Amino acid sequence: MNRKVLIAGLVIVVPFIVLLVMNLGRDPHKVDSPLIGKASPPFSLRQVGTPAVVDIMSLRGKPVVLNFWATWCVPCYAEHPVLVAGARQYADKAQFVGVVYDDQENKIVQFLAENGSSYPTLFDESGQTAIAFGVYGVPETFFLDADGKIVDKHVGPLDPATLEAKLRLAGAFR
Amino acid sequence: MTFRHTIARRFVLALTLLMLVLPLAAQAPERSDEIKSPDPKWVVGDPAGPPRTGVELEKETARVASLLRCPVCQGLSVNDSPATMAQNMKRQVRDLVAKGYSEEQALLYFERAYGEFVRLEPPLRGVNWLVWAAPVALLVIGGFFVLFMMKRLQRAPKNVEVASVDSATPGRDTLPDDEHLAHYVLRTRELAYGWPGGLSPASRGEGGEESR
Repeated sequence: MNRKVLIAGLVIVVPFIVLLVMNLGRDPHKVDSPLIGKASPPFSLRQVGTPAVVDIMSLRGKPVVLNFWATWCVPCYAEHPVLVAGARQYADKAQFVGVVYDDQENKIVQFLAENGSSYPTLFDESGQTAIAFGVYGVPETFFLDADGKIVDKHVGPLDPATLEAKLRLAGAFR
Repeated sequence: MTFRHTIARRFVLALTLLMLVLPLAAQAPERSDEIKSPDPKWVVGDPAGPPRTGVELEKETARVASLLRCPVCQGLSVNDSPATMAQNMKRQVRDLVAKGYSEEQALLYFERAYGEFVRLEPPLRGVNWLVWAAPVALLVIGGFFVLFMMKRLQRAPKNVEVASVDSATPGRDTLPDDEHLAHYVLRTRELAYGWPGGLSPASRGEGGEESR
């Protein structure tokens, strides 16, 4: 009888423990983007501080680094110099584009004036572009290949090594 | 100021302006002049129904938004959350509903970007069947188990009667018929209770009280 109780208990408990151990190192809030491997949603947004509108479709032919950020986001401050330097370093290999949402334009202009810029920053005022990309929070960076296909997504601030690795994945060094 | 002077000044001014604008042109590779948010048509095709307005639009927006999970909240729907993200999503739902997109089309649009997770109710497909079927299956299995146990309990008193028959319980001086075995029983009693020869005080004629 005791043996039976033990086996029944183990049958119920062991799957839960296996499930727990399997997911121990995983962030419960992280859900893999279903967009990876799919074509980037088409959009065109106005460039911050100018009347110019940039169409994402016009960037095809080169891998694109699409960085969603906001001025109120602390990790974005840390990430900004990496992107500014990256856009200069890989100028002939990839096109960098910033998309700011949930923000005010004057704050973005001020941020860029203070922290520098080396690539176009677009303003997603309605937040609909962020939604189409399934953005959860900032910063999030999408890597598009030359055909406009989403190759990878990075959540959180980028460091130079990660940036290079993801650019490689997007075919920037081919 | 001479005419030539004016021309020269205008030329310098134009050149300065050009120099200011050129870097911008180099930054933004190509331009159209219209802001276009991603078109849902590209994901879910043409709207299934006619455009909606007024009360119908508001009611349908709230209904569809309550089926969507706010991605940055803990178990809140887009309709119930005050987060900016959720409000943007609700505005997007309103846009979709206003254009005549059906509930399923609207949900699909969000699902393409956020995955199935964005639906508060998992749709009936694939492994999700388990989520819906498991509670019912467990209830049925549990019911059968309870019935089985009840039947067993009803039968139980008979078993107890059988077990309580006096003749079946051996007394402290009863010995098995097998002599060999009886020898060991006596020896065990002697070791266990300290009875000389394995005989109880009563059978030794000491009556009443035991030594311990």
